[in-house]
Amino acid sequence: MSVFELLSVPIFQRALLAAILTGACLSLLGIVIVVFNMTTIRFALMHFGLLGGAIGLAFGANPLTAAITSIAIGSLFFGPLSDKLKLDTGLIGAFFMTGTMALAFLIFYRTGVPALDVFSLFTGSIITLTRNDLYFIIALCVVIVLTFIVFFREIQLVFYDAEQAEWLGVPAKKIRNGLLFLTGLSVGVAMRIVGALLIDALVLLSAMAAMGIAKSFKQLIVLTSLFGVITTTGGLLFSMSFDFPTGVTITLTGVLILLVSQFFKRSY
Amino acid sequence: MSNQYVIDLNKVSLGYGNHEVLKDIDLKIFEGEFLSIFGENGAGKTTLFKGILQLLPTRSGSIHILGKDVTNTKDKTWLRTQIGYVPQRHHASRFPISVFDAVLLGRWGTSFKYLKRPSKDDFEIVEEMLNLVKLDHMMHQDCRTLSGGQQQRLNIARALVRNPKILLLDEPNTHLDMTSRDQLDDTIYSARQKYNLSIVMISHDHVHAEEVSDRAVHLRMGQIYGERGA
Repeated sequence: MSVFELLSVPIFQRALLAAILTGACLSLLGIVIVVFNMTTIRFALMHFGLLGGAIGLAFGANPLTAAITSIAIGSLFFGPLSDKLKLDTGLIGAFFMTGTMALAFLIFYRTGVPALDVFSLFTGSIITLTRNDLYFIIALCVVIVLTFIVFFREIQLVFYDAEQAEWLGVPAKKIRNGLLFLTGLSVGVAMRIVGALLIDALVLLSAMAAMGIAKSFKQLIVLTSLFGVITTTGGLLFSMSFDFPTGVTITLTGVLILLVSQFFKRSY
Repeated sequence: MSNQYVIDLNKVSLGYGNHEVLKDIDLKIFEGEFLSIFGENGAGKTTLFKGILQLLPTRSGSIHILGKDVTNTKDKTWLRTQIGYVPQRHHASRFPISVFDAVLLGRWGTSFKYLKRPSKDDFEIVEEMLNLVKLDHMMHQDCRTLSGGQQQRLNIARALVRNPKILLLDEPNTHLDMTSRDQLDDTIYSARQKYNLSIVMISHDHVHAEEVSDRAVHLRMGQIYGERGA
């Protein structure tokens, strides 16, 4: 079947819509990770997912829902705990990563939940998205876009100089914590679309590529979204054309864009 | 310079946790005066600024700004319009932002915030300040491309776009070469002349501090150790 024929099938239509939406919107949260230098947060959030999945299976609930709920709850702790303990958010990430993993293994041990069933949550595919998954993605994208529109100047100020933002009266910590929460939800969705190990392709690579080229916040947002859409839709269409796994082609497209962007990167 | 006080600290003590950094400080700054504060690391210079800005609770004594008692005030809105603050520069931001936008953000909370967008007046004030600090020709440039001296001039423009009466500068000359330092001194001098600013500058270089300011105060171990040029 050709790509055009495949796109007449509802699951591929859903996948294409999800690719465009997630590429355009979820990638924006990559800016949060890059600016706050919190690369470990993704791993920490994934381990929250592992703990949530284990709890879900142990109590007979849907493990994926439990995992994403756990990630969302976990993301709420990063900012406040970092402030309270006066520790870098990266170190808080390490603390959570090991703590949640230990708790998850404790649950495996005590309840007899097969660990491999939980780890299977980490292998996602955009082709297997359900209608409800798509609704969730649409809602999340609307919230992300509205956040960036309403708080455009405030986010800009927090990213550029958090100390000045606080002095000027911007609710800097609330904005940072809100962005971390959205990042948590995005990591959960990305886990479902490309799988845990390839989350960076969806959430991080576009922002990294745009960061070196953009000269202003507006440019950064536009370029990140553009690279995100090219990464996800390009990867999806490539996978449909040549029958490769979608997670892999999406990731490779993201890596390629990052590599090409390095040739246009400005030095400071 | 008039005889009116713009900042009046009366037996002020400040600190963090169990550690008292400043003890019973008495300090008055006159309208239009340029005061510099120097002293070794840990003397309490930045803590003093934090007290003036109400970023730290006052343990004892009182702080008056432009005649108004602001000691442990909860609402800092008024204070933010009266004082322009340029904090110590720790590291350059990795975030892409144009010079114009970086200065414009200094007006946040005055005429725009959230969905209320900046007006033509905001843009005009930003252009005026960029002109003052001689960065108007670079307004569309990414801040990450600026030199250390240009960054500091930008920070001063950002502090001035709120039309404050007082300007607090925390070690603005640190890590600058001689040329950049001279350009920064010129910028501060021009701003002071044009807007009749009262300026308090923290400096690690007491020779330079005494050269550029009307009065220099030596802070040592949390107390005022001496004063020159009074």
